[in-house]
Parts: sequence; structure tokens; C-alpha cells
Amino acid sequence: MGETYADDASVEETAGDGLLTDERVRIAGLAVAVVFTLAVAGFVGLVLVDYVDYDLLAAVFPRFVFAFLRVLMVVVISSVLAVTAGVFVGLGRVSRTSLTYSIATAYVQFFRGTPLLFQLFIIYLGIPSLWPPGQFPISQSWTVVPGVLSIDWSFITAVVALTLNHAAYVGEAVKGGINAVPEGQMEAARSLGMSYVDSMREIVLPQAWRNALAAIGNDQVILVKDTSLLTVIAFPEILTVFREVNSNQFDAWTPIVLVAVTYLAITLPLMWLVQYLEDRAEWGADRA
Amino acid sequence: MRDSAPAVAFDGVNKYFGETHVLKDVDLAVEDGAVVVIVGPSGSGKSTLLRCVNRLEEVQSGEVRIQGESITDPDVDVNRLRQRVGMVFQHFNLFPHKTALENVTLAPIRVRGLPAEQAIRRGRDLLAEVGLAEQADSYPAELSGGQQQRVAIARALAMDPSVMLFDEVTSALDPELVGEVLEVMRALADEGMTMLVVTHEMGFAREVGDRVVLMSDGRIVESAPPPEFFERPETDRAQRFLSRVR
Repeated sequence: MGETYADDASVEETAGDGLLTDERVRIAGLAVAVVFTLAVAGFVGLVLVDYVDYDLLAAVFPRFVFAFLRVLMVVVISSVLAVTAGVFVGLGRVSRTSLTYSIATAYVQFFRGTPLLFQLFIIYLGIPSLWPPGQFPISQSWTVVPGVLSIDWSFITAVVALTLNHAAYVGEAVKGGINAVPEGQMEAARSLGMSYVDSMREIVLPQAWRNALAAIGNDQVILVKDTSLLTVIAFPEILTVFREVNSNQFDAWTPIVLVAVTYLAITLPLMWLVQYLEDRAEWGADRA
Repeated sequence: MRDSAPAVAFDGVNKYFGETHVLKDVDLAVEDGAVVVIVGPSGSGKSTLLRCVNRLEEVQSGEVRIQGESITDPDVDVNRLRQRVGMVFQHFNLFPHKTALENVTLAPIRVRGLPAEQAIRRGRDLLAEVGLAEQADSYPAELSGGQQQRVAIARALAMDPSVMLFDEVTSALDPELVGEVLEVMRALADEGMTMLVVTHEMGFAREVGDRVVLMSDGRIVESAPPPEFFERPETDRAQRFLSRVR
């Protein structure tokens, strides 16, 4: 970014009579960046050298790996379901059938308009209480990998709530993506005799998907971070492990470093995946 | 029935956008093989008229018939009738995520169920006819405006339509690219294709048109073969229009 501005300045020499000349702003920006980087590097270095207990780190590391695997499982399932459902929510939001449009709109309004934490409670506490006390059928837990992953009501709640919540956000991204496809695309497809469904599937949705990819990717990163709320429904996610370690060992920085690494181990590859999908959806030299 | 009926017929067509009355009692018959050029000032309703032929616009009263079959009938299978009407747009509207060849073969494969190899063979022939055999595997973004518009013509022809609609197809082109598109249209007219052409290209109207129709304020105000239209216009409106475009 900074370089672009510098290039502009050299091409178009503006006689800066004020305080904010291009050159001074560029140097100020560089100075801020350097100072910020040095401060962060110094602080992280200090933490890593003086405040992280490496014996403890090695001892609790497996627990973070297990939390990582549990969260990854929830994220992958919820994300795939949310994006799939979100496409249909988006189609509902651009529907000209008023009932379909109204239902999709009400859905989005509820799930975007109330907190995810509340939605977790609705499912986790609300659904079982529809049965007489002790009669709720999903009270046991099925072990998938002993000590790492078991499927119980909190796991199911996590997947269902994250899916329903994020399908609403993905739906809005898809709606925006569809609306950004020029009207002429649908008209050209329909004028060839293609049905609405075929035109949507073959012509509009592939372009809408590309338009919406950045927003959908952004929402999936938020979904990963939303798993931190699962601690309230007794799902042993990443911050749950942090609090256990922190309160048992009276050590803050060792688990803090592990939490950061664990989240980034999910979110960074996710961002790379989104970038890869965006690059792949480039048609021809430069889209007209 | 289909043989005797005109390729396209408008019968007392009225069209409103909200309060605005954009087509007023339009009657028009386009005979098989005729090239009808529609001219007129912008906002006179000529593009709307064209878009009623394949029901991209709904009419409020009157009827539009394709070879005697009403496309304005609410119960008609509009996808079936649209296959008989090819349309080319001002802004090309090529599918940007598909190559030139895929643009041309998509509808024949999906709508008519043509086997892929057959559609591809025919698609390549059509691209060759519009002078783009080499560009079959290019994406629209890699083509010039004139090339894109010629792909769009090939795409419409791939459905073997009995009528072609051209909606200001050269208006968005750089001046030096207009000729190549008009040339393709001229060749098509020479082959006997029935064409409805909305354009500002008076040279094309004069040389290729069998009839020139002037629209003004939602009405057809003059309709005549080019020599009469350009040399001896009957109405004041046509005389004023011609004095401005000359």
C-alpha cells in the first residue's frame, strides 16, 4: 500500500505547502509500522523467554491438541452445513415468491437479530425441556475417540446452533453475491430458453459464489472464533482448556500462547483456502 | 398455421412501467425472412418492444405471437417459445465464467439435450461463421467488444431460432469495431434470417432493412421500405427524426 502511494507521488509531483506532504506521510507511516513491529516483537520475545513455562507447555500441549481436534470437528461439520444451507437462504432472499421470501427473511432476522449464546441456550436447554424430566432421549454420549471426542447433546447443540446461525450470515452474503450479478446474465440465459433453475445453477450462482466468497470466508473465520462460546454448554473447546490450566497452575502466559497457536492453526489455513478459491474463480485475463 | 402466420406479430400491445405508458396500441407483423429495423429516439419504447417478443417484458394488454403461437398467454411454456427467438444484447451479456465455445454450446446441451460432441461441432462451425474459430477457448474477458458480440450472435444462432432480435448491438462498441458486427448481421440477413433490429445505424437500416419502423413516444409512427422511409417520409415526426440523424 505504502509503495503505491510513493509511486503516485513520484509520478505526480504535488507541491506540498501544507504539513501533510506525501513524503512526510509515507515516512510517518513507515515509522509507525517499524515502532509497532519492534514493540510487539520485543513483548512477545519477553513473554516467550521469561513468562512461558516450557515444562508446563509440554505437559498440557496434548490437551490443546485434543481441544483443537474437537473444535475442528465441530467447525468442519457446521461450516459445510452452514454454507450449503446459506445458499438456499440466499436464494430465498432473492425469491420473487413472496412466501418463500418472507420465510427466508424472518429466518435471517431472527438468527442475526439474537445472540448466538442465546441460540445455544434455546437448543441446549430448551429442546430437552420439551420432554418430561429425565425422558429426553439424547442424554448419553457416544465415544468416537476416547478422551478426545464424544458425541453428546452439547456436541449436537454446537453443530446445530452454529449451522443455523451462520447459515443466516452466509445467506446474506449469497444474496449480495446474486444481486451483484448483472441482470443481463439471467436475461441472456432465459432468452436461450433455459429455465429459472438452470439459469440460476449454470449462470448466476457460479458468479454469485465468486462475488460472495470473501464474505463467506470471513464468516467461516468468525464461526471458528464463535466456538469459544461453546464453553457455556459444557463443550470442552479451546478456552475451556485454557481456564482449566490457568486456574490449576496459576500460569497465564503458557496457556495464552497455546490458545493463540491453536486458534491460528484453524483460522490461517482457512484464510489460505478462501484465498485459493478466490484465485481459482478468475475467468480469463481480467474479468470484464 | 405456422407456415402462413407471420414470424412475429404484435396485436394491440400496451405496456406500462408503473404509471408510464411505454407501448401504446402497437400493431406490427414481421413476415418470414424479413429484416425489420426499428429506429427512434431513446425512450421511445423500441427496446421494450423487442423485449416483449421473448417476454423479457410482460405486456398489460394485447398479444404477441411467434409463428402464430401466443407468447403472452399466461399458460404458454415460455421456455419452449423462447427457443425460437434468438436475442443479442447491447452489452453482449456473455457468460464470463465460460469460454466462447461453452457460451455457444450451453443451451443446446442443457435445453435441447443435444449430445455434447454434436453441440461442440456445431458450436465450432458457428464460431467459424462469425470469424472466431481461433477464439473458441478464450474467455469473454480475453476478447474485444466486437469479438464478444459476435460470440453472442453465435450463441443465439446455436438454438436454431426462427427469429433473431438485435437490441442496439453496436451501441456499446468502439467505432472501429462496429463494422465487423454489422457484417455478420448482413450475412445473416442475406441467408434469409428473420430479424428485428433496434439500431441507430441508419446506413444498416437503409441497406439491409426490408422495412424501417419509426417509434416515437411508445407508438409506431411510420413504417415503410427504406427508400420511401428515408426519401419520402409521410409524417412530420419522421421528417424531424431524419433531419436530426442525418
